[in-house]
Amino acid sequence: MKRRTLLQWLGVAASWPLARVELRADELAQDQVFVLRDVAATVLPATIGTKGQNDAVDNFLRWIREYKEGVALAHGYGDPRLVKSGPSPAPAYTKQLIALQQAAQARGGRFGSLPIETRRELLDSAFKSADVRNLPGRPDGKHVVADLMAHYFRSSGANDLCYNARIGRNTYRAIRVTTARPQPLNGGPGR
Amino acid sequence: MAVHECDVCVIGGGITAALLIERLAQLKPGLRITAIEAGRSIFDRENRGNYHRRALEYGEHPWHEDYIEDQQAKGMISMTMAVGGQALHWGGACNRFSAEDLRLKSMFGLADDWPIEWDELEKFYVQAEHRLNVAGDPSPYPADARSAPYPQPAMPLSYNLQVLKKWGEQSGLKFSPLPMSRNVAAPADGRGACGLYDTCGDVCPTGARYSPDYTYQQMIAAKKITLHDRTLVRKLTLNDGTNTIAAAIGYHQDRPADPTEYRARLFVLASGQCWSPHLLLLSANARFPNGLANRSGLVGRFMSGHKFISAQAMIDEETFPGQNMTHSLISREFFRCATNKPFVRHDTRVWESSAGKEPRLRSAEGRLLLGDELLTDWRERALKGSSVRLRAYYDSHPSIDSRLTLDLTSKNHYGDPMPKIDRQLDAAATAREGATLAHCTEVFERMSKASNGRLTGKPTVSTYWDHPAGGCRMGTDPAHSVCDSYGHTHDHENLFVIGAPTLPTGGCTNGTLTFVSLSLRSAGKIAEVV
Repeated sequence: MKRRTLLQWLGVAASWPLARVELRADELAQDQVFVLRDVAATVLPATIGTKGQNDAVDNFLRWIREYKEGVALAHGYGDPRLVKSGPSPAPAYTKQLIALQQAAQARGGRFGSLPIETRRELLDSAFKSADVRNLPGRPDGKHVVADLMAHYFRSSGANDLCYNARIGRNTYRAIRVTTARPQPLNGGPGR
Repeated sequence: MAVHECDVCVIGGGITAALLIERLAQLKPGLRITAIEAGRSIFDRENRGNYHRRALEYGEHPWHEDYIEDQQAKGMISMTMAVGGQALHWGGACNRFSAEDLRLKSMFGLADDWPIEWDELEKFYVQAEHRLNVAGDPSPYPADARSAPYPQPAMPLSYNLQVLKKWGEQSGLKFSPLPMSRNVAAPADGRGACGLYDTCGDVCPTGARYSPDYTYQQMIAAKKITLHDRTLVRKLTLNDGTNTIAAAIGYHQDRPADPTEYRARLFVLASGQCWSPHLLLLSANARFPNGLANRSGLVGRFMSGHKFISAQAMIDEETFPGQNMTHSLISREFFRCATNKPFVRHDTRVWESSAGKEPRLRSAEGRLLLGDELLTDWRERALKGSSVRLRAYYDSHPSIDSRLTLDLTSKNHYGDPMPKIDRQLDAAATAREGATLAHCTEVFERMSKASNGRLTGKPTVSTYWDHPAGGCRMGTDPAHSVCDSYGHTHDHENLFVIGAPTLPTGGCTNGTLTFVSLSLRSAGKIAEVV
């Protein structure tokens, strides 16, 4: 890593939560977590702020850690099929983050420091290589960045943000809440 | 071979078995009742919150090992095989059929009449609604008159459904909250109260939605039942020289080479529309070479249920997707059909929806969207009116060739051929398919236009039949039916088939309440004859 790039990294990393020291086979190494946080600043809404973006990455890292292999997935109704969860996506995620970091360096530096259209180009290329065509319904292991985005944008919190309303999808709410027009998140009439 | 003796042996551990046994134990205290279920008991209620979380996050099935991998049927719409059956994770919809369902032949010259009067069935609807603690409002259609009110008022409508009810009624149809088996007002029967959390599609965190596992646990605790789970009944045997059932031969998953002979005075087949006819066919012997209870040749025939037509509409009203996607509105406007008009019967259902309003990775032009761009694109689409999900379950009368057969190309580890179900409409139902689709499309379009809306695509017909039934149809004539209206088989004086398999036709709305009502009626007859 070049000295300038390293300093860029350290500058950005100073705002990130301390990473865990111990590392398991089913989680990302610290270097990759740094890259992921850097990318998150581009692919997650600035509206939720740096803390919101870091929280979203933390939630995604927990998702990776708690992933279980070989577990029966919902077998559905109508045309049921038995499908089991595949291997942990962590090793593939690691390779994808390393590749993204290398591609960014080849274009001039840390991912987050590149012009937005260059970042878009890099991700576009990575998604095409991984056959990511749309935001998955939930992380599906095809590409770590698309999965991070899916994990956030498919969340109840993102749904509330979209509608500017306290809907609380998939959360426990009182009946008096569900039967009333949802309250706005940030003032105004909502929606 | 180990021998287990009881008075009544119930084969199957789903919702109809649970409620039949509960009723039977009330009518005949002290009766020794054994239930045998091929699947396992899933009684770890304390873990369900976590299972549900993992279902949302990882797509994991929240009902662990509720299936038997090599005990599956082609054409079956659910793999679930466990104590509680598919009602472990049903929505709780409790609609009644209507009197027309029982008189299709005499009123319209279609399909067959049921061998039971509406007033008689209605009494058992009331019983079933009380046992399931159904929450519902009286129907706005006078023809849906009831002999007793629902045990609870309807579930409160989410804000979204309140908006959609006003919208839907502009078309002239009258909508009601779908009657649901839920504790709404307060906890009851060992189960909590509903919070309208919208997690009920997979796991109800409070137990507000009726689930048969509670009933089984209560009956086990009260010593009203002996439950043998993880035990597959592979054959029913006959007594020498008579047509009475002697025993059910069961194989526990841990002792596959060591069967148990379940002897009883009376046997009740409560294994649903797939596994009930399957066991009868598997139990063929020299005297009944086509299978037990099958002198009519109708076991595994007239497999019914109903197809459905689905559509999505975009309307001007503002809703907030994610409040409660499980609960729906129902209109019974088209449960009745004038006898001098082309026949069409269906229910009309409305749900909130987020279809077409989901976040997406690329703009319509294919540009990759990042961060706030993606959020802005999402908002622009999401905040433009609302999406609505529409559905109509419609009368789909089966032909005699709508069949369950033994599939010799697919066998379990014992070598038993598995069922293969191939549903077929009868000639009249086939002939009116196009007209039914056109009618439902017109209804959906009329509803949409009421709010400057439109359908977002052509309505589509389902690829499967929902709420499946049939395979052991009831009737008065032993030459044209398998059992009488109580499920008492014509060929074996100590064998009953209960619930879904006995229905001659599958109605045009959810079937569970009807399956349960008929089973409660069977319980009375079984108590008499046992």
